[in-house]
Amino acid sequence: MNWLNEIDASWAWQPFEPDDDATWDSALAAHLFRRAGFGTDQASLTESLTRTPNETVDELISRNEEADSFRTVADSLAKTVLAGGDPMKLSAAWVYRLQFTPAQLLEKTTLFWHGHFATGAEKVQSASMMWRQNKLFREHALGDFRALTQSIAKDPAMLIYLDSASNRKAHPNENFARELMELFCLGEGNYSEDDVLELARCFTGWEIRNERFRKNRYQHDSGSKSVLGRDGNFDGEDAVQVVLDHERLPYFICRKLFHFFICDEPSPSDDLLKIPAATFRNNDLKIAPVIRQMLSSNLFFSHCARARKIKSPVESVIGLLRGLEVAADSNQIAEGLRSIGQGLFYPPNVKGWDGGRSWVNSSTLLGRANLFQRIIFDKKTRFGDETLDSYLKRFSATTFDGALDHFQRCLMAVPIGSSARELLRTQFPMRQKLSDSNLRRLLHSVASLPEFQLC
Amino acid sequence: MTHSAISRRRMLQRSVCGVAALGVGTAIPQGFVAAAEDSERANENVLVVIELSGGNDGLNTVVPYSNEFYREARPNLSLGVDEVLKVDDNFGFHPSLRGVSDLLEQGQASVVHAVGYENPNRSHFESMDIWHSCLRKGESRQDGWLGRYLEQRIASVGGDVPAIHLGHRQQPFALESLNVRVPTVKELEAFRLLGDDSGGLRELLKPASATVSESSTNELLDFLQDSTRNAVSASRRVTDATKDYQSATQYPESQLARELKVVAQLIDAELSTRVYYLQLDGFDTHAQQPDAHAALLGQWSDAVAAFMNDLNAQGHSDRVTVMTFSEFGRRVAENASSGTDHGAAGPMFFCGGKLQPGLIGQFSSLTDLQQGDLKHHVDFRQVYATVLEDWLGADSAAVLGKSYAGLPIFG
Repeated sequence: MNWLNEIDASWAWQPFEPDDDATWDSALAAHLFRRAGFGTDQASLTESLTRTPNETVDELISRNEEADSFRTVADSLAKTVLAGGDPMKLSAAWVYRLQFTPAQLLEKTTLFWHGHFATGAEKVQSASMMWRQNKLFREHALGDFRALTQSIAKDPAMLIYLDSASNRKAHPNENFARELMELFCLGEGNYSEDDVLELARCFTGWEIRNERFRKNRYQHDSGSKSVLGRDGNFDGEDAVQVVLDHERLPYFICRKLFHFFICDEPSPSDDLLKIPAATFRNNDLKIAPVIRQMLSSNLFFSHCARARKIKSPVESVIGLLRGLEVAADSNQIAEGLRSIGQGLFYPPNVKGWDGGRSWVNSSTLLGRANLFQRIIFDKKTRFGDETLDSYLKRFSATTFDGALDHFQRCLMAVPIGSSARELLRTQFPMRQKLSDSNLRRLLHSVASLPEFQLC
Repeated sequence: MTHSAISRRRMLQRSVCGVAALGVGTAIPQGFVAAAEDSERANENVLVVIELSGGNDGLNTVVPYSNEFYREARPNLSLGVDEVLKVDDNFGFHPSLRGVSDLLEQGQASVVHAVGYENPNRSHFESMDIWHSCLRKGESRQDGWLGRYLEQRIASVGGDVPAIHLGHRQQPFALESLNVRVPTVKELEAFRLLGDDSGGLRELLKPASATVSESSTNELLDFLQDSTRNAVSASRRVTDATKDYQSATQYPESQLARELKVVAQLIDAELSTRVYYLQLDGFDTHAQQPDAHAALLGQWSDAVAAFMNDLNAQGHSDRVTVMTFSEFGRRVAENASSGTDHGAAGPMFFCGGKLQPGLIGQFSSLTDLQQGDLKHHVDFRQVYATVLEDWLGADSAAVLGKSYAGLPIFG
């Protein structure tokens, strides 16, 4: 059953205006911050209520670059680990960004492109190339999809990942050409096997030497090619434009953005996507306008989107850290994310993470609970630079109910079910003030609940 | 109220409680049940599926070493008569397949030649989906073939989960179904709740206390609740089952071998689980194929051989079959990077104690190709049908949508 088919597409993409049925409260603001970023703490939730939803989205979109001061710190952190060459250390440097960036949407979208143009460090085996690619995603995250795709087509990490570091005239390498159409731009079924062969010819002579892209004109096939119904003496750049001009491109990208920002399932029809797809095409494939339209839409703030996603490991873990202003060990978190299925710089394959239900299985659920156990009970873990009981005192939330409500408001998309709440009641002293260790235990229990995993 | 009505109600209450305690029944998805030991089921046949992800080069796995067209198409990559492990006058195994070659000599291995499907798709993901679901793009794909088999079994299932996926990768679509949740076990040590408060936490999340009756309007929440319950009970059962395992068999140092060892432990612990699913990735050898392919085939062959030796020693090999497949073979002609591009038909492998050993079916022609790729002679659904009917005792037409001619795989 596809209940998205019931939705009126023109209503869906109109900017949302709060009314009596849907008030702009901290729950709705928290929804926006979880999706457009990785969630936020009580103080900034309260602060955002002084503005309208649209103003809040605009503010998120307008932070399309990191503040210089933050970038300097985060970049220098990344660069110090490059010398060692271990991409896992680079992963920890990215965790630092996710935890502390003031430009949440920019970082969220950077993560989206990492999953879209998925490249794995296991095979590339070079922290510096992975780092250059990561900077590329951040630079274009809310920018121009044309420029992003042209850059990726020449990106050393990508081409090495796809075994396309050399591409000779006599035997064109099909791999990048195939994935460009299948996974990056159009989707399976929108091109033929002949298109793959012809497109591969356009990229002949493109190669990576000493971690740098170069064109080897002796190996370029300069003959005429026929790609997706167009004929010409295409080189690689021309070929990328031909693919980008294809009518299916805006739908393919918008469908993926839809699942990333709005809901996991069901899949939206072309009819429902027509408006954002037009926005994407009419803005010459600029990314920010289409994301702005999605995040400020009626659909986004409706029951069709709220709690209709399963938190990715990053959303789950970074969400808890940001929601309670936790400072925790980035290395531990980077390793932990990898163990529960979302190692940064370690996507499962060139298709990236499928998301949705595929995040969840027995091992990853036990893994989430165990990772939270390690983070929450780590003596070094601080909440707003304090112990958890002192931190919650700021919000007068140190009793069982007060703490539970605070966790629910800052971390969760749905309330805790009544039977789980009852059971927790029996496990914790009810009325008196809870100790720091009891509050940590309560937080661990909450973070292990199925309800907690909804975004 | 009549006497019989009262006792009937009592009986219903009792059976409802029983069902809740066991974690099985219509309202409750299938979970592990420590209490429900079913000795009859513990003797049923077991299927172990190994997926070689990325597209295994079948032509350099079961090598037509005497074929001149093979050597012509692959001036750099072809394996010669002195290199292969000869099976007969025409075919030999890749030299890394010593373990599987030995199994063949013991009568515990077989190869089905030229398996594929009409109008082959050369996308990894699309082709894998076809193998997993048995459906083409555009058809409604809600579940996988093993998932549909597991659904068929629900009515009679006793206690343990009917299938387990091992490994760190995302769960294969083949195991997906509407009602059966298959647990993924990454490694045994991490497959339990950690910490001082794990008892209280298990209490909170475990089947009996969970919010069985609280049905929501959010399918994702229902799914998460099911999955959490299953995770907690599966973890307990697997941890208990593998506590005291002793094996004299030396397994090689590889992820696949570690996972197969866990499978051997679970089989020996008499879990009634019937399907185990494992994956070995990296077969997408577009460049510098020889070393990578040799290493991957070696990992697979050594691990399977150790597993079979272990089962032989523990007396379980007669009820276990290992089936190995890949989403496609590779192009007949090598490319310019000492590699091979995506192809079509390829061999499937079986190992076990109840097989008809040897090479089954007709090899693909090396001159009559489709877009440079091998044509298939056996539809993969024929292989599935044979496994379902002859090994798992299931109704293959119900699982696959229609009847397929079987093959002489099992002895």
